[in-house]
Amino acid sequence: MLGEFEYLLITAAAGLGDNAYGAAIRGEIESTTGRKCSIGALYTTIERLETKGLLKTWMGEATAERGGRAKRMVRVTPKGIEAAKDFYDAVMRVSRGASWVTNRSGGAL
Amino acid sequence: MTNVAWSLVEVAAQMLDQTEREAVLGDLEETNERAWGALTGIFGLVLRRQLSLWKNWRPWLASFGLALPGSLLLMGFSLSISQTYQKLINSTVFKDTGITLGPGVSLLLCNLLLLIAWSWTGGFVMGSVSRRTVRVSIALSFMPCVFCLTRFRVESLSRFCLLLFLLPAVWGVRRGLRIAKIRLRSALILAAVITLLTIPTWGSKGSWIPNWALSWPAWYLVATASTNAISKGQRQWQAS
Repeated sequence: MLGEFEYLLITAAAGLGDNAYGAAIRGEIESTTGRKCSIGALYTTIERLETKGLLKTWMGEATAERGGRAKRMVRVTPKGIEAAKDFYDAVMRVSRGASWVTNRSGGAL
Repeated sequence: MTNVAWSLVEVAAQMLDQTEREAVLGDLEETNERAWGALTGIFGLVLRRQLSLWKNWRPWLASFGLALPGSLLLMGFSLSISQTYQKLINSTVFKDTGITLGPGVSLLLCNLLLLIAWSWTGGFVMGSVSRRTVRVSIALSFMPCVFCLTRFRVESLSRFCLLLFLLPAVWGVRRGLRIAKIRLRSALILAAVITLLTIPTWGSKGSWIPNWALSWPAWYLVATASTNAISKGQRQWQAS
């Protein structure tokens, strides 16, 4: 099963579609979660997910705003989509009885 | 980001692979990251990359099973050869007439050959087993060298006699980094020669530990070469 950050990365990449690359994924994760995403965590996770066959990466075109440097483009594979769905379903199932889902005031006092 | 700060970031990024460096530096430039954030980001990535290499057994074997103990033992053996050479020079060998061959000389030559073979195979295995951590292995092999060089107290000998093993070891590392594998026949010959050369020391107590600690790389090369030969044979058989 995926880890939390792995799920975030796959979901951000899937949402960005053809425009998914390092900086864009990082920006997406930071803006949606409000948490800092380090370059180290991003690129090591991309590589790990690619090794598992959940992502495919390749070097894209270079742009002037990047100082003429190429982007590392990312695409989620069918296996990656399946893994993300499994994670999402598991989170939904486990959350069913939680107070913040059922809107109950129960829980730890 | 200022030019100086960006230059620092580019220098730090040299520790990354070329494609990764390009993608990371491009991302940093595109997002206009601050110098300190960019530097810590790159160092964090380099650290993660290095640590991930150590999840495998190979860097551990190359560094702590070979580089560290190997350099220590080879320094001891280099010193022993230098002392033997000095004794022969001062006593019987070159006395009066010049060259006199005796059993001491042949033993010295055997030991010299053994030192070269041990150093080369050790270096080769160190270079080929874990290429990406070879710098750490080299640093670990230098630690005992520096320690012993600073504490060397034999007046009649130069302290550099401890480093007789260095040239063949460096040669071995370079070969290991380039070709990674040797043929089964060459590996077998090398292992057999090393084992034969250790025979004179079999009689002395306690010598089997350093012998095996320095000889195992040769037999490791035999094992890996034979595994490769078997898998190559299987592929050819399947193809036919």
